[in-house]
This record gives sequence, C-alpha cells and structure tokens, in this order.
Amino acid sequence: MNELANSSTSGGSVLTGPPPAVTAEKLSKIYGSVRACDEVDIELVRGEIHGVLGENGAGKSTLMKMLIGLVLPDKGSIAVDGKPVTIRDPLDAADLGIGMVHQHFSLVEALTVWENVALGDNRRIDRNRTRDRVAELSHEYGLDVNPDDRVEDLPVGMRQRVELLKCLRRDPSVLILDEPTSVLTPEESEQLFDSLRKVVGEENRAVALVSHRLSEILHATDRITIMRNGAVIDRCLTKDTDANSLARSMVGREVGLSYSGLDNSNKDSDVKVKSEPDNESKKIEERFLLELKGISTSSALGVRELNDFNLGIRQGEIFGLAGVEGNGQSSLVEVLSGLKRVSSGHVLLNGEKIPSNRFGQLAKKGVAVIPEDRHDSGVILGMSVSENLLLSNMEEGYKNGFLNKQKRDARATDLIEKFEINCTGPNAPLWSLSGGNQQRVVLARETSDKPIVLVASQPTRGLDVGAIEYMTRQLRSLADSGVGVLLISSELDEILSLSDRIGVIFRGKIADSMRRQDADRENLGLLMGRGES
Amino acid sequence: MSSMRRRSEIVFLYACSTFVALLLSAIIVEAVGANWTDVWNSLLDGSLRKPGRWGKTLGSAVPMAMVAVGTIISTKVGLINIGQEGQMLVGAAFAAYVGAHAPGSGPIVICLVIIGGFVGGAFWSGLAGALRYWRNVPEVLTTLLLVTVAANLVGYALKNTWLLLDPDAAFGNRALVSKQLDPDSRLPRVEIFGNNFSLSVILALLIIVLTTWVLSQTVIGFKLNVVGENRRVGQRFGISEVKQGLMAMCASGGFAGLAGAMMLASGDFAKYRLVTGFTVNLGWTGLLVALVAREKVMAIIPVALIFAGLRTGSSFLAATGVERRVTDVVQGLLVLALLVPPAILFIRDRRRALAQVESRT
Repeated sequence: MNELANSSTSGGSVLTGPPPAVTAEKLSKIYGSVRACDEVDIELVRGEIHGVLGENGAGKSTLMKMLIGLVLPDKGSIAVDGKPVTIRDPLDAADLGIGMVHQHFSLVEALTVWENVALGDNRRIDRNRTRDRVAELSHEYGLDVNPDDRVEDLPVGMRQRVELLKCLRRDPSVLILDEPTSVLTPEESEQLFDSLRKVVGEENRAVALVSHRLSEILHATDRITIMRNGAVIDRCLTKDTDANSLARSMVGREVGLSYSGLDNSNKDSDVKVKSEPDNESKKIEERFLLELKGISTSSALGVRELNDFNLGIRQGEIFGLAGVEGNGQSSLVEVLSGLKRVSSGHVLLNGEKIPSNRFGQLAKKGVAVIPEDRHDSGVILGMSVSENLLLSNMEEGYKNGFLNKQKRDARATDLIEKFEINCTGPNAPLWSLSGGNQQRVVLARETSDKPIVLVASQPTRGLDVGAIEYMTRQLRSLADSGVGVLLISSELDEILSLSDRIGVIFRGKIADSMRRQDADRENLGLLMGRGES
Repeated sequence: MSSMRRRSEIVFLYACSTFVALLLSAIIVEAVGANWTDVWNSLLDGSLRKPGRWGKTLGSAVPMAMVAVGTIISTKVGLINIGQEGQMLVGAAFAAYVGAHAPGSGPIVICLVIIGGFVGGAFWSGLAGALRYWRNVPEVLTTLLLVTVAANLVGYALKNTWLLLDPDAAFGNRALVSKQLDPDSRLPRVEIFGNNFSLSVILALLIIVLTTWVLSQTVIGFKLNVVGENRRVGQRFGISEVKQGLMAMCASGGFAGLAGAMMLASGDFAKYRLVTGFTVNLGWTGLLVALVAREKVMAIIPVALIFAGLRTGSSFLAATGVERRVTDVVQGLLVLALLVPPAILFIRDRRRALAQVESRT
C-alpha cells in the first residue's frame, strides 16, 4: 500500500505544462444513503489513455456520467482546459468537446451505419457528405466500417465501432469509453485499443477508459485511477504497477484483517466442525448433488456466454461463485432456471441427466432458484401471495385441476408465518409487498418443497441490512440441513463470509476454485480481473 | 381502505362518466334537430317495450357475448385478438357446410353445426397463433388481416355449389346464399310473453358461467394467467408459453366461430342461411363488449345486453327523424365512458402503491 502511495505522488507530479483537458475536483454524488462518488478528483491529460479501474458499483460510471452531463454532481467543480465550466447535459459536454461511448449501445438496428452516425443532427442531412465522412474516419482509425451496412447485420464488435465513429465524428478533444470491451472478443478488444492509440497519439486527444478488467487496463492505458466504494483509492502510472498491486487496491483489504484472521472467524469454525470427521464425510463429499458438465451457451446475438463450463455442488456446502458481472453468471442462472437451452454439455442432478430442452424439469426435480432480478423470473407482481407461493407445486392448491382455495390459503398462511412475510394476508397482491418481503416469498416458495440444490444469484442485492442478515442466515441453515447451495455474487465480502468453497467465473469459465481456507482476497481479485492469478 | 368505500367510489365514477356520455349524446341528438326524449323513447320501444322486441335484443346479445368471452380468454394470456369478425364468418361457414352436408337431421346435427362453428373459428385464429409462435408475427396484425382473407374466402365459397352455394338458389336469382338449415337442424326457439328467442341464449349463459369458473377455479385458468402475467416465471415451472398461448388463441377464435354458428342456427339473422355480410359487424361490437367488461367474464352479460339494446332500438329511430347510425355514436361514447373509471382507478392505485413502497424503504 505504501509503495503504491509513493508511486501515485510521483505520478501526480508529472503534470506540468499545459492545463489538462479535463480537471474534476471533489466531485460528489449521493443517492439516498449511498455515496456513489465521494469527493473524487480526476485529471484527463491530452495524449494519454487514462484507465479508471474498479469493481461493479465502485462509482466509475457515475463519475463519467458527471463529466458528460448525464448526472449532475451534488458538489465539486469541473474545468475544461483550465477554464471552469458547468455541464448540465450531454449537449453542453459535446460543445466542450467531451464525447462518450456508453456501455450499452444506442443504435437503431434498422438503419445503416451512416444514418446512425447522422442521427441527432438537426441540420439538413447531406447524405453524400456524411457517408464520405464516415468512410474517411473509418479508414483513418482503421475501423473498417462500411457506411452502407445495416446495423442489424453487424456483429457486436462492429457495432461498438459504429458507436466510436458517432463520437469521433464530432471531433471531441476528450473521449470517454465506459466498459467498452464487455461485449467484445479479445481480438476485437485488441483492435479497439489500437484505434484508441491512434486517437491519443496522433491527434493529441485525451481518452478515459473505464474497465474492471485488469489485463486491459494494464495493457492499454498510460495512467490509472482505482476506485472503490465511490472514492479514489489509488493513482499510479501504468508502467510503475503490476496486476497484483492493482488487484489488491481494487478489491480492498481492511487494515489489520489478515488472512489468518479471517480464518478464525465464525464461519470458518462452522466449516471446520463440519469437515472434521474427514474420512466419514468423504464418501458424501465425493458425490455431487448438482453437476454441470461442459455447458456452453450463446446470447441471441451469437456471443458466447458460458464456454465449456464445469461445476459440481456437494451436499451441505455453500459454493460461492465470485466474479465480475457479465462473465456468464446470468446465463448460468438461466440454464439452471430452465430458461435457456444449452448449445452443448449437460446438467446432472444426483447423477441423473436432465434434458435442457424440456422447460420446468429442473424446478420439478428440485433445483430451487433465487433469481437476480425477482421481477423478471421470480415472482408475478399481478398475482396474489398465495398464488405466487403455489407456482412451484401446483398440486398443493389444485386437486385434479380444481382449485382447493382452503388448502391453498392455509399453506400460504403457514409459509407467511414461517418466513415472517409482512403482508395483509394470502390474498394480498404481490406488488403491495416491499422488496425484502417479495424476496421472502421467493425464498419461501423455493425452499418449502425440500429442494436438492438452491441457486441464489445476488440474493441480497437491494435489500436492507435486516433482510440481508435474514437471507444469509437462511442460506447457511439450508446448507446445514443438507441442501447444496450455489451462491452467485459479485460482492466478494458476501462470498468470503458465507462459502465453504469458492470459485471464480471469468469469461464463461471457472478460472479456478478452492476451499475457503485457501482463498485470499488478492488472489481472488486477480482471478476476477484477468482469469488467472 | 374499506372495500365498501371502494365499491361506492367505483359506482360513483361509473355513474358520472355514463351521465356525461348520455349528456353528450343528447346534445348531439338536439344538434341534428331532433328531440332527445323522442329518441330515448324509441330506443326503449325498439329494444324492450314493443311486443317481441326484447327477444330480438337477446338474440343480438348472444353473438356479442360469445365473441367477448373469447376475447377475454386471449387477453388473459397476453395475446390481442382483434379478428373476431373473420373468425365468426369462418365459423358460420363451417357450420353452414356441416348443416348442409351432415346426413340426417335432429339434435345430433344441431350439435355438429355448433361444434363445426367452434372448430372453424378456432382454426382461423389458430393460424394467427401459429404464426405468432412459429415466426413471431404479431397476432394483432394477423388476426386483423385474416378478417379480409376470411371475407373473400367465404365469398368464394358462396359462389360455388360444391362449397356453400345453395344449388336451388344457383339456378334462380343467382343470390349468393347457402342452403337453408333443415327445420330439424335449427336451434329450437322458446316463446315467453310474446317474445321468442332461441336456445342459444341459454347456451350462451351456460358458457359464460362455465368460462368464469374455469378461469377462476381450475388450474387451466391459473396457467393462462401465469403466462399472461410473466411468461418467464411460467417457463421456469414448466408452463409452456406456446401451449397456453395457442390454446387460448384457439379458444378465443373458437368462441367467435361459435357465435357465428349460433347466429346461423338460431334464425335471428338471415333466416338460417349464410349470406354475404352475414356477421353484420357483430364481431367488432363483441370486441367492444370485451373492452368494456375488461377481464370480468360475468360483466359481459349486462354490457352485451346494453349494446344489443342500442342495436335493436336503433331500427325504431326512423320516426324521430334521426339517422339510425346515431346509435353508433352513442355506443362509442358509452364505451369511452365505461373505460374512463378503470383508468382513473388504476392510475390512482398505482400512485398510492408507489407512495406506500417509498415510505417503507
């Protein structure tokens, strides 16, 4: 840490001569009780690629959105070329020469490339001039985009380039890219970085590259700012640092909390008690309740999501799957929810192969799921609590297909009491419940039928402290009762405090897995950031 | 909030909006130079008071109600079927074909005619459903466009004796009509207090009650509802969107086809024959009935009766000097009026719920 602090000061002193393209001082943005950005300082210098590194939710995107005018800062000041400015919206930013390529594309698929580039112009559109300009820019930066191609026919990497063209056409002096490589293949990323080099080197623009991938930050940038929990943790020159120290800064480590200290925490003593009779439990441990063998999936656009993914969950353990979001986790949950077909590989439950082309089989055979977005595939907002509780096991409320209202409501009342769901009764519409209570409905439904395996994806996201505590307690006691639990989370703390074994997912594969005792933050951080330690 | 208060609020809102609609209608009537009390009286005479008129009203209400039942079923699963006019026509054509070609006569043929109507309608909406799930073609478009296809196909069938054209009519005045149903193959008619109506009224009531029950008390209705509300949750628990959707779509068109068959077999329209323009826009009106009744099948009964009353009443308007199509305007205003209260309630409920959720977090 000290060594890093030193390098950051030496990095800071380089800035002499002409004022930086953008200087932000003490920028703050607070949402409710969350400090998305807390007095953040950043300087973007011409001729440099400035990497902004951090985990999901570290405040990188908020910071960039303040620079582009999408989010108004609560406090702090921004100066462009040394002159203080106020940026109220992206148009202001564009006038000042700041352009941004967003993580999610904003392209009209039915239109051609040049039409997309021309969108937003309020002058008369000169078809030939725009097309020529697009072709010229594309040639200049080696982007190889044909202005007459329709966007819907283009692969993801090309669409990214179109976004870049949209930005470059306005000749910005500062270019911000928010997670530009999250949908690109390694080769496409490489080509993007080459183009960026050109933008920076030959034309003296400033580029900010926001990413959570260590390797590309190390590879593509000149200077790095590392953020965590809304604050800048560290600054350094890229040439002075390495992956290990970046990972340490990005994931963070509380002072005085050594790895041996963690091993003495409560959770680990639980584990030890359970794993002490080693020889006896070995037989059980060797059998996987749930096994995924060589699973591969692709998105609608044909992008590989899971890539020959292998995983086994044993009885009575919590397997924590760590990883930066977007590395295939949602696809994994969709497969286990029976919402997605696999292009290869298979799912085994208690050694029995479950066909992936028959939806509902996994749920019926005992794979319970707490989805990441409960409104998407967890609950039905327009139906009542009792109906939502019924979904997993319709026989509990329908006898030979006919409603048995008494039985249905009695069961619901039972579960409401047992899981302490705060609602007006079995017939309360689900939308009338708070988020934590909706999550309890999901938990009640998924765990009441004695599942074999429980998949919990970001189970505590968006919940308040009390609800988080409740949820973690429930997961632990389920595992203790013999259920195999797969906990998928992007919060390392959650993984570390709950899991018996830990795996890291990176680009659709398990990068590595280990016992909790053998895991440390630095190692996990590296695995999350670049897939190897 | 107590349910009592809520209920009185709903009644009040409906009363207000209906009053405004009637007021506007009265103004329009006055504006074209007629007297609104005269119009009101002749509407009542035509639909209710004059001898035999409420039997006619019932006869018109039946097809509208059946169409509305089907519409509600497809809406439950989240599909929008607006092609009932065509499904009715195809249903009536199937029914006419069965009626003309089924051997013998009597109750069995009547049943076959009715079932034929259902199958015809189900087939026609099933086409749209299949396209929806096979190639993702929006069912709103296909159902609507298939109305035109149905009209032309049935028109063709009515020109050819090997299909529907009555051989006797073919030699005579070349009128495009199908063979008349045998007297034994018609739905029996009942006479009460000088009003007569066919058994289709009873059948329709039974169907409405049965549908209400199936939708609310059986797992079939539950599954339809799950798919309509959140198809991904349904899929996770093995409720297939395609299966439920196709089923609902076929039922939806089937009931429209049933309406067509009932029109043919009841004799309220076109004397037991299929003629060009047979469906006389009842498919569209049935769609409006469903729109007003919203998801409540039971509400179809009063709404269909009111709309049928406007329809039969309008034939008595000539004496008042008002164009009979003014009832279409009244009908439109009523639909609007009856749609406003639910919208107000929905917006208010949502606002309250949001405020509640916010205050909790």
